[in-house]
Amino acid sequence: MDKFIKDYDKIIKKQHTLETNDPLDRLISVVKEAKEKIQSDPSSVNASLVNLTKSVKTTSSGISEEFKELQSLLSKYSKAVDKTFTGDMMSTLSPHAFDNKEHILRNTIATHFIRQGNFEIGDKFAQARVSSEANITVPDEIRHQFMEMFEIVAALKENNLEPALMWAMRHRSGLEKRTSTLEFKLHRQRFLQLLEAREVRLAIAYAQKNFGHFGNRHTQEIMRLMCSIIYMDHIHTSPYADLVTPNANSDLQHMFTRDFCSLIGLSCESPLYVSCTVGTQAIPTILKVSALMKAKKTEWSQQSELPVEISLTDDVKFHSIFTCPVSKEQASETNPPMMMLCGHVICQESLHKLCRGSTKLKCPYCPTESPASNAKVVHF
Amino acid sequence: MNKINHDQLLSLEHPFVKVNVKSPSSIPVEKYRSALKLSQKHIEKEISNLTNTITEIIKKSAQGNVDAKQVEVALDAIITRLSTLKRKLRDIRAEESLYAQRTKVRLQHLEEFLSINSLDSDDFARWSRVRLNRILIDYMLRDGFRGSATLLAKSENIEQLVDIELFVQSGKVEQALMRYSCTECLQWCNDNKSGLKKIKSTLEFSLREQEFIELARERRTREAIAYAKKHLTPWQDTHMKEISQVMGLLAFPPDTKCHPYKRLYDKSRWTDLISQFRSNNFALQYFTPEPLLAVTLQAGLAALKTPMCYKPEHRNVNCPVCDPNMLGALATELPLSHHFNSSIVCKISGHIMNEDNLPMALPNNYVYSYNALAEMASLNNDKVTCPRTGSVYDISEIKKVFIS
Repeated sequence: MDKFIKDYDKIIKKQHTLETNDPLDRLISVVKEAKEKIQSDPSSVNASLVNLTKSVKTTSSGISEEFKELQSLLSKYSKAVDKTFTGDMMSTLSPHAFDNKEHILRNTIATHFIRQGNFEIGDKFAQARVSSEANITVPDEIRHQFMEMFEIVAALKENNLEPALMWAMRHRSGLEKRTSTLEFKLHRQRFLQLLEAREVRLAIAYAQKNFGHFGNRHTQEIMRLMCSIIYMDHIHTSPYADLVTPNANSDLQHMFTRDFCSLIGLSCESPLYVSCTVGTQAIPTILKVSALMKAKKTEWSQQSELPVEISLTDDVKFHSIFTCPVSKEQASETNPPMMMLCGHVICQESLHKLCRGSTKLKCPYCPTESPASNAKVVHF
Repeated sequence: MNKINHDQLLSLEHPFVKVNVKSPSSIPVEKYRSALKLSQKHIEKEISNLTNTITEIIKKSAQGNVDAKQVEVALDAIITRLSTLKRKLRDIRAEESLYAQRTKVRLQHLEEFLSINSLDSDDFARWSRVRLNRILIDYMLRDGFRGSATLLAKSENIEQLVDIELFVQSGKVEQALMRYSCTECLQWCNDNKSGLKKIKSTLEFSLREQEFIELARERRTREAIAYAKKHLTPWQDTHMKEISQVMGLLAFPPDTKCHPYKRLYDKSRWTDLISQFRSNNFALQYFTPEPLLAVTLQAGLAALKTPMCYKPEHRNVNCPVCDPNMLGALATELPLSHHFNSSIVCKISGHIMNEDNLPMALPNNYVYSYNALAEMASLNNDKVTCPRTGSVYDISEIKKVFIS
């Protein structure tokens, strides 16, 4: 990449010299010079003209040389780009998988914009084709919910916790069911804001008024908060420095967004964003495998499954996958994972094969032997 | 695991950079290259003009019928011409530097990406967002949502990273074809002659055929024959069969039921022309034939898709494929992900269970992560409730599960 940028800088520099030292200016000055000579000495017409022809020739060959150089730099650069950026993503495409699903895709995109808080673009996109095809619609409910969410987040950004607190109190029972600590975290932040503003008296009053409800769940935390009062003057070097990290606000925004979405039954990230980010990471692997298979002239036998494992980051693993360590098959409803007495898990079919008619089962991973009937189906 | 493989991801940016480099009609480097060529051509033309004029004056003055005054006038005329050309080239030059600048911005964008080291970092998330916006804009431009695309590019400040201008011209051609007019598209073919030849395009022939068909439809036989003589015969070496077939139209009225002619008269041929134009245009610009969004989304959905996604009891709100009305519906025809290794996700916390967060089985054989159960127990007097069955157990009853 560095090389590209360097090469490209050369091109730009070259272009710049061409700009500041305009070839046309050079030509003009050559002609002007000849003209002035003739003016001052009319008898030299012939000699000056011959001179002029000569200098025009040298100037013009110089100019075309410069152009040529620039062009060759450009084509060299362009070839280098061809060599480096070689991905042909089209080979990974299932050409008809999205047939007749345009409207689903468009609805997803429109919802994505709403979810990003880009209401203007979402609306413009949704309205663009009202006449011709199926309308793009984002349910009004979702729209309103996200508008509320972004208003609250905007307030949070400005360190105004009030709207978020109001919302959290309104949805206290729902949040508690999700074991969310959002409401407490908001109160805690407000308390710290007051402390940082040296409003100790107000802070204590605030704590008395609001922390009571959280006495059971957050005892430790409340004790730390109250104790931090005595360290406020040099909190950054005290054991309580973690209370005032600069990320506190953005963490709170993130937490709020997550809990808000989870409460209205939506994912905390836009699904389109998640899928495309995973897709970007998956394409190189799929490309590599499909190229390998092409080279070996093998077809990928199981069309219903990707030929290769795509390693996902933990945050996008959404389902429990159990692959039997014995058979390497994925567990399914007909072949569920079974836990033996020792706690090791293998799939049912492998378990039956290991027993081979006997009722005793020797765990393939530890010395334990146990009756096969003691193995139980586990639910992940 | 969470390290970024830069080379692999970068190789995907082929169209992003390449479009800058190679496209003969528009956009950064190659646009820059052609702008440069144009100004070079202008200047060379002017130089040869200049040389000719001077030679002529020399000839005349050698014959003795030019005085110094006349030479001065002639030279003045040359200077004026050169200055006019200079003004004219100023626009091209502005364009040149615009495209040169744009390529630079894109290279810098990719360089920024190279400095990101982890898939978990905020920088990567930001980069991914920009990439998503880029491919969304690409999709919107292809499908005629130019207004939204422009707005998005502007509000995200990524105008330099997308190719909106490119679609302004092609949009005009497409609209003309929708109005049943070939003129604009033929003009476009002419402008891109060498490029089209390189990709062995037959678009121009298809357009000529269509114009002939329209004449035949209106039963303007005489004009149709003249048209065929002029515009179809140049293609006889390669398209004789098609030419003779289309000439057959003269014998059949537009409402014919006869097989090949009915199809030739069909208005849907215009839609085919549009898609032919599109694919040719994309090929010339080094755009991918299908939108990047489709490719990326397909790969992503397949990588995420599991058999559980379509079972309501296993639904995870955070999983894109689990939404049966949106991306789940889009993914039905895609392959499932493939797994050699187990990864067990806690139904309570959504976190992965591993050595740091062990999987624990309740007495009812439902498995949850240790951290989630421990937190629940600490808030409930050491009691844990299975969220799926409602059974309540003491934390001491949970048992380690070994997933190898």
